[in-house]
Amino acid sequence: MRRVAVTGLGAVSPFGAGVKAYWNGLSAGVCAIRPVTLVETEGFRCRIAAEVPDGIGGSPRRTRADRFALAAAREALEDAGLSCAERAEAALVVGAVGGGMLEAEVWYWERFRGGGPTSRRAPRSTLPFSHADVLGNVLGLEGPRETLVTACSSGAASLALAADLVADGVVTTAIAGGVDALTRICFMGFNALKLLGPEPCRPFDRDRRGMSIGEGAAFVVLEELEKARARGARIYAALAGHGLTTDAYHVTSPHPDGEGMVRAMKAALERARLAPAAVGYANAHGTATPQNDRIEARAIREVFGAGRLLISSTKSMIGHTMAAAGALEAVATILALVHEVVPPTANLATTDPDVAFDCVPRVAREAAIEYAISNSFGFGGQNVTLLFGRA
Amino acid sequence: MARVVVTGVGVVTGAVTGGREQVRAFLASSGAPALRIPGSALLGLVDEGEARRLSRVCQLSVAAARIALADAGLGPDPCPGLGLVIGAEFGDLRSTIEFVNGYLCRGPGGLSALLFPNTVMNTMAATTAIAVAARGLSLTLNAPTVAGELAIARAVAAVRSGRVEAVLAGGVDEIDPFLAELLVEAGATSETRGEGAGFVLLESLDGAHARGARVLGEIAGVAWRALRARPYRVGRGTDSRAIAAALDEAGAAPGDLGRVWISASGDGPRDRWEQALLEASLRPARPPQTALGSRVGRHSGLGALAVAASVLDSSSRGPALVHAIARGGSHVAMVVRSHAAPLSGHPQ
Amino acid sequence: MDPKEVLDELKTILVTRLKFDPRRAADMTFETALPKGVEGSIGLDSLDFIELSIAIEERFGIVMDESQDLAEHFQSFDTLCGFIAARTEAA
Repeated sequence: MRRVAVTGLGAVSPFGAGVKAYWNGLSAGVCAIRPVTLVETEGFRCRIAAEVPDGIGGSPRRTRADRFALAAAREALEDAGLSCAERAEAALVVGAVGGGMLEAEVWYWERFRGGGPTSRRAPRSTLPFSHADVLGNVLGLEGPRETLVTACSSGAASLALAADLVADGVVTTAIAGGVDALTRICFMGFNALKLLGPEPCRPFDRDRRGMSIGEGAAFVVLEELEKARARGARIYAALAGHGLTTDAYHVTSPHPDGEGMVRAMKAALERARLAPAAVGYANAHGTATPQNDRIEARAIREVFGAGRLLISSTKSMIGHTMAAAGALEAVATILALVHEVVPPTANLATTDPDVAFDCVPRVAREAAIEYAISNSFGFGGQNVTLLFGRA
Repeated sequence: MARVVVTGVGVVTGAVTGGREQVRAFLASSGAPALRIPGSALLGLVDEGEARRLSRVCQLSVAAARIALADAGLGPDPCPGLGLVIGAEFGDLRSTIEFVNGYLCRGPGGLSALLFPNTVMNTMAATTAIAVAARGLSLTLNAPTVAGELAIARAVAAVRSGRVEAVLAGGVDEIDPFLAELLVEAGATSETRGEGAGFVLLESLDGAHARGARVLGEIAGVAWRALRARPYRVGRGTDSRAIAAALDEAGAAPGDLGRVWISASGDGPRDRWEQALLEASLRPARPPQTALGSRVGRHSGLGALAVAASVLDSSSRGPALVHAIARGGSHVAMVVRSHAAPLSGHPQ
Repeated sequence: MDPKEVLDELKTILVTRLKFDPRRAADMTFETALPKGVEGSIGLDSLDFIELSIAIEERFGIVMDESQDLAEHFQSFDTLCGFIAARTEAA
C-alpha cells in the first residue's frame, strides 16, 4: 500500500479567502459567529451563524457554494504546483450536501408564493454533484470523479476516499475536500431539531446549549509520498490512516456509547500502525450539542485514555460548516502539526466535568505534535477519523 | 488483491422486483416499459415502523437491500463489517419539498424535525444501514446518470484492497411528479426516467467460499474517470481511459466481450456520445448491446440490475461490459464474468 | 380544554405529523405508553419526541424548554395531557 502525503492546501472560511486568513483566525482564537445576513431568521430561536465575508471572487452566475469550492480548490492546486498533465490525471473527490440549494431556494420560494412556475428558469446547479462537474471542467481534472454525501462528515470522508485511490495506485494525485454554503433548509432544519444555540456555540463547556452553523470550503492535494518527494513538492503532512464506520443505530442520534466513533478512531490507528500513545492532538467533531460532546469525549477516552491528549473544536470559531467541516478541520489539524500550535476552543469557560481532557480553552497552545486525528460524525451515524502525521 | 464476486442480487423496479430468479425471468421475458413501482411491491419488505417513519425512496432502498441479503443467503444480522455504497442522482427530493412547504405554509412551527434528515442525500444509506445492520463504511455517491454504476465500482475497489469483507452496492432513485416538472423547467432533455432500487452483494472470493456461498459471477475490472465536458453538456472526446483500464484490470480484450450493457435512455446527444465512445474503445469488436433503461427507465438502481443481468446471462459468450456515461463527463466501466454455465440455463 | 379534548388533539398530531395510521391512533387511550422500548408503547424515539414537541408548541401555544428533562411528561398520553393542561393554564 502506497503512502499518502498532503502537498497542497486551500480554504475559504468565515475568516475569508485563503489558508493564511483561516490559520490567522484559528490561531488567534477568533469567533466568527455573528447575526445571519444571508437568509431570513424571523421566528427562529437561533439567529446567528458564521458566514463567509464578501471578497471571495468568482462569477456571480455561479452558485455561492461553487465560488467557495473553486477558490479553495484553485488555491490548493496552485499551492501544490501541479502541472496541467498531473491535473488531467488527478482524482477529484468532493464532499457536499447543500449543493446550490441557497439559489434554488430563492427560485422555489418565488414559485411557491406565485402559485406556479416563475419567469426565471429552475436552477440546474442544485444537486451536490454540481460542484465536482464545475471544478472538473474549470480546473481540467479528468481522473476519477466522485461526490460524496455522508452528511456532516462528508468533507472528511472525501479525504479518506481520495487517500484510498492514491494508496491503491489508481492515481498518484488527488484533490479532495468539502464545500457548503449556508442554506435555508439547513438553518431551518437544525432549528427544528432544537440543536442550535441562541449564542455562539461553546463546545465542551458545561453550559453549552447547541451548535452554530457556518459555511465554507477546503480542499487538499494528496499525492503518493514517493512521487511527491521525487518532484520536490512541499510536504505538509502524511495522511497516515483513516477509519470510516457506521453506527447503524439512529438517523439523528449517535450511539449512546459512541461505539461507532470508537471503531473509526481505532481503524485509523490500525491503518497507520500506530499505538494510541503516538497521537498528541484530536481536532474534535465538537459540535457543542449536549449529546455529541459528552459521547465524543467518552469515545476518545476509551481509545486514548483520559487526560494526556489535547482536544479542541474548530467549530467554536467557524461554526459547523456542514460538508466543508471535515475538510476545513483536516486543514486545521495539518496546520497544527506544521506550526506546532494547537488551535483553541473559543468560548470555553468551564469545561464539562464529563470531558476528561484539556480542551485548550480560548488561547492557542504551542505543542510539537507528531500525530493528530480529526474526527467528523454525521447524521445516520457516519463516523470518520483522519489521522495525520508530521512530514 | 482479492477477487471480487457477486453472491446476491436484489432489485425493486417497475418491471421486476426480487432476487436472482425474478431477474432471470425478467431477462428472459419481453414487455412494455414499466417505469413506476406499484405500491404493493413493498408489501412484506418493510415493517410497520418503517412504513410510518421512512420516506418512499428510503423504503425502496431498504426493500432492495433486504432482498439482496436474503438472495445471498445472509440473515438479518449479516456480518459485523458489512459495508454499504449507494448511488443516487436526486435523493429524497419529495421529502425536501414537503419540508420546505411546511415552512412556507405555516412558518417555523410548520417545520418537521422528522423530515429534515431526509433533505440530506445520505438518508437512504442511513436508514438502510440501520435496517440491515451495516456497520462498516457506508457511502452515498451522488452523480448524474452513472451513480449506481459508480457506487458498485467504488465498492469493488474497497473489497479488492481488503478494506471491507462484504458490501451491498447499488443505488436508488424515485420518480416524483414535482421532480419531473422541475426537470422540464430546468431545461433537461427528454429522457426515459424510471425509478427503483437495486443492490448486489459483493464479497471476496475467499470470503464467499469460506461461508459456502454460491458465487454468481465476478467483477473482474472496474474503472471510473471523467471525460472533458461542461456541466450538463456532452463532450466530444472519445478516448475512454475507463474502458481501457477496466478491460486491462480484467485481463480481457474488446473481442472477448459477449455483451455491453449501455446507459442509453433517450437523451439523444448523450446516447450518441456513448456510442462514439464504445465504437472508439472497442474497435473493431462490436459486441451486442442492451439498454436496460428501455425496460425500466433510467435510474440509479440500474447499475445493480446491469451487473445482475451480466452474472445471470447464461447466453453470453464472454464477459460483459457494464458501461455508463453522464452529461458532465463522469463515466464508469466494469467487466463482469458470469459463473453460470455457458450456453445453458442449468444451475451449477 | 378538558383532557379528552387534549388527547384527541394529540391523536390528530400523531396522524398528521408523525404519520400514524388513523385506525392505530383511534385505538390509543390515556394509558397508552409512548416511548420506544416500553411494553405496549407506540414506539416513539427521540426524533418523534422532537416532532411531537414542535407540534404541541404550535397547537397549544406553549414553549417546551428542551434544556429541562421532559422525559417524565412523555411517558404516556395521561402524563402528557396533564403536562399540557398545566402549562396552558399557567400561560
